[in-house]
Amino acid sequence: MSHIRTLFEDWVTVFNLVVLSYFFLGNGIYTILMLLSLRATWVHQRQLAYQGLDALRVSPVTPPVTIVIPAWNEQDVIVDCVRTALQVDYPQLQVMVVDDGSTDSTLARLVESFGLLEMDGAYHGGLPTAPVQTYYTNPAIPSLLVVSKIRGGKPDALNAGINLCRSPYFCNIDADCLLERDSLLRLMDPVVNCTTQTVVSGGIIRILNGCETRGGRLLKVGLPQTWLERFQVVEYLRSFLFGRTGWHLLGGTLIVSGAFAVFHRETVIEAGGFSHDTVTEDMDLIVQLCQWAADNKRKIRTSFASDPVCWTECPSTLAVLANQRRRWQLGLCQTLWKHSGILFRKKYGIVGMLSFPFHSYVEGVGAVVEFLGYALVPAFIYLGMIPTRLLLVFILLGFVYGGFLSVGAVLLEELTYRRYPRFRDLVTLLIFGLLENLGYRQLVLFYRFQGVMKFLFGSRRWEKVTHVGAIAEGTP
Amino acid sequence: MIDHSDPVTQLAFMIVVSVVAGTFLLIAVALFRRWQQIRYGRYVHALQRKYRPVLAGILSGARSPAAIEILREMPMAELEVLLEPLFSRRKLPERSLVFFQALCLELGLIELWHSRLARGPRMAAPYSQSGASRESLGRPGMGLLLRAKSIRNLGKLRHRPSWPLLVKALDDPRAEVQFVALRALGALGAPESFPLLRERLHAVAQGNSQSPPLRGLRAAMASFDLACAPALVPSLRHGDGNVRLQGTEILRMIVSREAAFQPHLTLTAELLSPQMVELLLAALAIDANSETRARTAEIIVFLADPRATRALRNLLLDHQWFVRLRTVQALAHLRQAAAPLHVQIRGCLRDSHWQVREAAIQTLLSLGPEGTHHLYEHFLASPNHPTREQIVEVIERRGVVFELVEMYSNGANGVDARMVEQLAAESARVGLSGILRSVPPEVRLRFLSRLFSSAEAKMRFHEGTQPGLESAVSTEHVLEFLPRVAA
Repeated sequence: MSHIRTLFEDWVTVFNLVVLSYFFLGNGIYTILMLLSLRATWVHQRQLAYQGLDALRVSPVTPPVTIVIPAWNEQDVIVDCVRTALQVDYPQLQVMVVDDGSTDSTLARLVESFGLLEMDGAYHGGLPTAPVQTYYTNPAIPSLLVVSKIRGGKPDALNAGINLCRSPYFCNIDADCLLERDSLLRLMDPVVNCTTQTVVSGGIIRILNGCETRGGRLLKVGLPQTWLERFQVVEYLRSFLFGRTGWHLLGGTLIVSGAFAVFHRETVIEAGGFSHDTVTEDMDLIVQLCQWAADNKRKIRTSFASDPVCWTECPSTLAVLANQRRRWQLGLCQTLWKHSGILFRKKYGIVGMLSFPFHSYVEGVGAVVEFLGYALVPAFIYLGMIPTRLLLVFILLGFVYGGFLSVGAVLLEELTYRRYPRFRDLVTLLIFGLLENLGYRQLVLFYRFQGVMKFLFGSRRWEKVTHVGAIAEGTP
Repeated sequence: MIDHSDPVTQLAFMIVVSVVAGTFLLIAVALFRRWQQIRYGRYVHALQRKYRPVLAGILSGARSPAAIEILREMPMAELEVLLEPLFSRRKLPERSLVFFQALCLELGLIELWHSRLARGPRMAAPYSQSGASRESLGRPGMGLLLRAKSIRNLGKLRHRPSWPLLVKALDDPRAEVQFVALRALGALGAPESFPLLRERLHAVAQGNSQSPPLRGLRAAMASFDLACAPALVPSLRHGDGNVRLQGTEILRMIVSREAAFQPHLTLTAELLSPQMVELLLAALAIDANSETRARTAEIIVFLADPRATRALRNLLLDHQWFVRLRTVQALAHLRQAAAPLHVQIRGCLRDSHWQVREAAIQTLLSLGPEGTHHLYEHFLASPNHPTREQIVEVIERRGVVFELVEMYSNGANGVDARMVEQLAAESARVGLSGILRSVPPEVRLRFLSRLFSSAEAKMRFHEGTQPGLESAVSTEHVLEFLPRVAA
């Protein structure tokens, strides 16, 4: 019996060490990312003051771009999304909607709203996709093309869009997104103004809930009403303003939001396009591109800028949030597993040596470690295996450090873009930054844990996140 | 709660306290920044409200010495804040440029901007030394921003005498300042600065220097007037392939811009210099670098030289598909250059690369009736299904089928009529049906009655319906039936 107890105590010690390493590694790297992005975003924002976009708008070296919108049962938001895409300020722009076999009236609404006529089209399949059935166009709106295809999933729709796209770059956005007028110019700025070939350029996603919109245009920025959505505002700020900016500065970008990113078409085709293997095809493609470039000795660059803004709906109910987070975690695990060959391989640079291991441990395995930490702590206290006071201080540290990082993200926003104009909004964000770690984080952790379990044991299908149609509704 | 005998607990508690203190510090900074911003906003607003009548009077163009005197008495920092909305506009109105230049000169702003640039990056004059009040901005150490804004303003004003200082700014250690300087130099377009930029281009293209950034340099040089183009001859005859490529690209961009303003642009030896014409036709059109050849094609289409046609014909047969693509695309710009090459462009409809075929379709359509007829004849004669599909797609997207339907219903004959019948018979039934539904009923009726008067179509029509019923068949029935006719 005493032998079993010793064994159990040893296991508890190892587990404690794992939890500690997770805590310090995660928070340590996040702190470094925050400090790095604080400076970088500050400098970048200062540059924006005098680097007008007019030169890019008229420059002959600004390459044409096609906005690709994959849509599946998006009848409530699709028309406004296309409208906003057509209004984007960019010199040579095409907009393409790929209807991925919608069963609702997505296609009918597009046809009606834009006076589209069915036309004959020629399909050149560089990437394998499900068949494209019909093409719709309106000669009066030559920059718009709508195609309808047999359902094959989002990656398939994106690949079909790539095949049909004629420009060297394409920008994929989700159907529930609303682009700011100059967002594409801002997104292409690092592409045009960099000597190394930039194959991916990502922008920031902000939450549309609570903002006022009309006809696909953002009229007034505001905070959402519910606590769930407000927590997500803080979470997005943290994730984009210092998470992604920081990794970009270190040269270890692994995630660029598929809801708003520009890609170099030929490179994506060479790397095999969007894959069906994971449910987060955006992250998968970035890792795939890094791996492909290193394997083929190609020098490519992935860029992230925090000033091009795309507004999107966030889940407003727990059920939808749960679906979304389980899917993200499942996709993360699938991608990390699929590309595990690059782990700690010097050949893949910062991505292989730092970014990928960090994401594997802190973002992937970390969900299980943290969840088990919360679940097993009461048992350990009961068995007297951890000093209670140390544990309490440690838990307190966890809460306050999380608050520190969230408040840091709000500060970063305040120092730079200041998109929430009212003083009251700032105070609300700071309060929600402090409170985020008292319940919301644990809730999301639970969904992430479920995502890992789903990866290990369960179904791996794509869970649709339903939209309430905030773009179409127009009011918070 | 704290057990002082346990150093680990003590350390953890100390970390907690530090993090809490740090968090509150961050909150304090955030709130302070917002307060500062609100205060600054109020200051700018008050300033604008106070001087709005004076400024409005001046900006209306009426010369008012009293108003200028009021502005002259203002501290420079306030004056800059007041005029900032003017310079952060996309572009200053062309007709007001001279006036704004004179105004800024009179107010001493140009002198201030020059002095900032002349002092260089480390010694940019803080506002306190230029007559600014302390409350004006209160942002010491913002040399970068001041330099960049000074350069931007000079560029926006297109103050040509400033070019030597702007060229000097290209040596600034900050890439952002170099970018703004390049942009300003491009806006100024001072011919004297072009050779200096060219030398920098050579250094960067050969890898001897990292700055200024190549793309910025290229964009700036491309903004210069066509009259500066002969100064690119040393780049075009350079031994380094990359320098030649960059030079050709700049020339191509200059020519493309001019062509957008002058639809009938013709490049002559007088305009470009005989050496440049010779280089383009005899050397760059057969350059080892395919990128250079592709760009050369886009310049040659505008050349008024008898050898240009042969050079373009060879480029249309280049072994690199994108050289053929760029050549065939370029030919769309100029009808006279394309005229002797219609057959070659039509040959591109059989190209192995779909992008070249598509570009050839677009080019033939933009070459007027003659090019369009070449395209239709190819469509009618070609057994190649993918090319026919591409032709149908392009003509439908460009709305050409609308014109064809109208022409056909009005009794047009020849290749246009045969094209319509062919489209209806097999290739474009989907698009044609859609278009027929959207045209006025009388056009639709005329179109359909003519279409079904042809023997072949009538025969197909009879294959799918009861004999003797055709007169009773409504237009809607025929529209529904059209795909079956085609089948």
